[in-house]
Amino acid sequence: MRLILTGNPNVGKSVVFSYLTGYTAISSNYPGTTVSILSGKGKIGGVDFDIVDIPGAYSLDGESVAEKVASKIIKEGDYDLIINIMDANNLERNLLFALELLSLKKPVIFLVNKCDIARNRGVNIDFEKLEKILKVRVIPIIATIGWGFDVLDNEIKKFYVSKKIDLCDLDIPESNIEKWKLIGDIISKVQKIEHKHPNFLEKLELITTTPKTAIPFAFIVIAFSFYLIRFIGEGLINTIFDPLFNNYYMPFIEKIMGYIKNDTLKMILFSKNHIPLEGFSIITTGLYVPFVVVLPYVFAFYLVLGFLEDIGYLPRLSVILDKFSHKIGLHGYSSIPLIMGLGCKVPGIFSLRILETNKDKIIAGSLMFLVAPCIPQTAMIISVLSKYDLAYTFIFFAYLFSVGILASFLLNKIVKGISSDLFVEVPPYHIPVLKNMFFKLKLRIFEFLKDAVPAIVGGIFFINILDILNILEKISNFFAPFFKNIFLLPPEISSIMAVGFLKKDVSITLLTPFNLGLKEILVSSFFLVTYLPCLASILILRKEIGTLTMSYVLAFNFTISLFFTFIFSSILKIFI
Amino acid sequence: MEKNLLNAPIGKLKVKRISGGENLFKKLSVMGIYEGSVIEKKISYGSGPVIVKVGNSDIAIGRGMSAKIIVEEER
Repeated sequence: MRLILTGNPNVGKSVVFSYLTGYTAISSNYPGTTVSILSGKGKIGGVDFDIVDIPGAYSLDGESVAEKVASKIIKEGDYDLIINIMDANNLERNLLFALELLSLKKPVIFLVNKCDIARNRGVNIDFEKLEKILKVRVIPIIATIGWGFDVLDNEIKKFYVSKKIDLCDLDIPESNIEKWKLIGDIISKVQKIEHKHPNFLEKLELITTTPKTAIPFAFIVIAFSFYLIRFIGEGLINTIFDPLFNNYYMPFIEKIMGYIKNDTLKMILFSKNHIPLEGFSIITTGLYVPFVVVLPYVFAFYLVLGFLEDIGYLPRLSVILDKFSHKIGLHGYSSIPLIMGLGCKVPGIFSLRILETNKDKIIAGSLMFLVAPCIPQTAMIISVLSKYDLAYTFIFFAYLFSVGILASFLLNKIVKGISSDLFVEVPPYHIPVLKNMFFKLKLRIFEFLKDAVPAIVGGIFFINILDILNILEKISNFFAPFFKNIFLLPPEISSIMAVGFLKKDVSITLLTPFNLGLKEILVSSFFLVTYLPCLASILILRKEIGTLTMSYVLAFNFTISLFFTFIFSSILKIFI
Repeated sequence: MEKNLLNAPIGKLKVKRISGGENLFKKLSVMGIYEGSVIEKKISYGSGPVIVKVGNSDIAIGRGMSAKIIVEEER
């Protein structure tokens, strides 16, 4: 049996999907999360089924990429039953999509989610009456706590046995305006709204959206988030990961080292220097970097991001940033992909799909490559700068941020086309459900362990081999005068660039064993963050905007990177 | 003078017409903004976006699009 899950964006589809498949999908509280199509297998009381999570859509007739994909699958896909989810807080708008579905005359079950929140806000819905009017099954649920899922299970089983379900025989008008009239009729019969005093979350919504208070609040949230990420990241490193590594792992490894008599093997395994971050040993540095330096930051970043996502703050943030970001040529919603890109470029680029025009995608994609270092890079930059005054870390990121604003200005002038206008639903706040939050965190950390760790270990090993064979030295000597005189970059940078291209988060890591001075660290970090994105993200962006546009973006980025590396090194030469 | 969503006062408004193409009309009507519908302007970011309440949900609408939604005050 094949099921599809449909509904407006942000109705809790992914939570239902997670439930039906036994927790395997990512869900968040902002429109547009499910841009790629997730599918899974489920089993309820002996009934096996395949299930596809269709991207959220407001209409079968919509313009966005996600809506077009959704519409195509719903109209032409091969499935037995549609499970359509609606949000009790906004039954009217959800009914428009529901009516469009009903007019297709396919088997469908309706779930009405978030009943708890709606009731708290004074929305009372008569589900039985709604069922009678629509003539299809309507099940109230609270997906976050699993309330109502037993009824859903039963319906799915019943449908599996009988292969039959009542089809709606309502006369559904063609035009949207006529549909709204019908919806008005239905709503007046099934929904009563009583006035309630705003609860805490509603008050918070008001404070965090009214410009006077919302703008300072947004700055506090952003600053506090970065502080919290650093606090949690450093805390984990200093109290748990570093002590574990140095007190238990290192002595053990050093003991083993003593037994290895073959010098070549020793060199390959432990490099010229086996102390982590001082040599390129695959056994020590190769594990120290991903697990001790980077993992704690990945954990901290996604913990904080997941919380902001689930509570529903990100759409508000994009509205608040819209006025400012419009001035520099960014559509307000572009801040979401950029924020995602601060974690890892790959999900960041996927989320570019929520942007509508090509111009938006090009600008946001280019900026993401240029000035949004992914969290492993950020962690390493903070780590290598941690022995100096905190002011230098600040200077580094401030410089990066300023270059981003300048680049955005430039791109807005260069890139042809129109930027789209903000048009986004601002969802009510939800209290995050810990189970969902940690499930998502777990998925993201697994993703990191699976993708990044082998690349970091491999990159370190690769450099070590180059180093042992003295190839590193030869390449470096060849390019040295160019890099050193103009850009203050260490001669070894050319080989690091090569590895960094394959996996960008590795690049800063590879700088550490070279014992650079402060100026050199700042300049090389800036260069390595901006010069080119990693191969994986390039390949994905190419799919989004095409090969030609892609090459322009890369050429633009490389030029900007070289130019501002030069400026940065010139400034630093004077002051440090 | 005709008022649009951008320069209309905070409060309940009735949509008079959408001065834009078919696409804009479709996009807005899906969310419940069409000729004759009543919406509530809740928050304005000056020259930035406007937040309106349509039905039971809040929608942020950018400056350019807001200017194309012609409204009158609902009494």
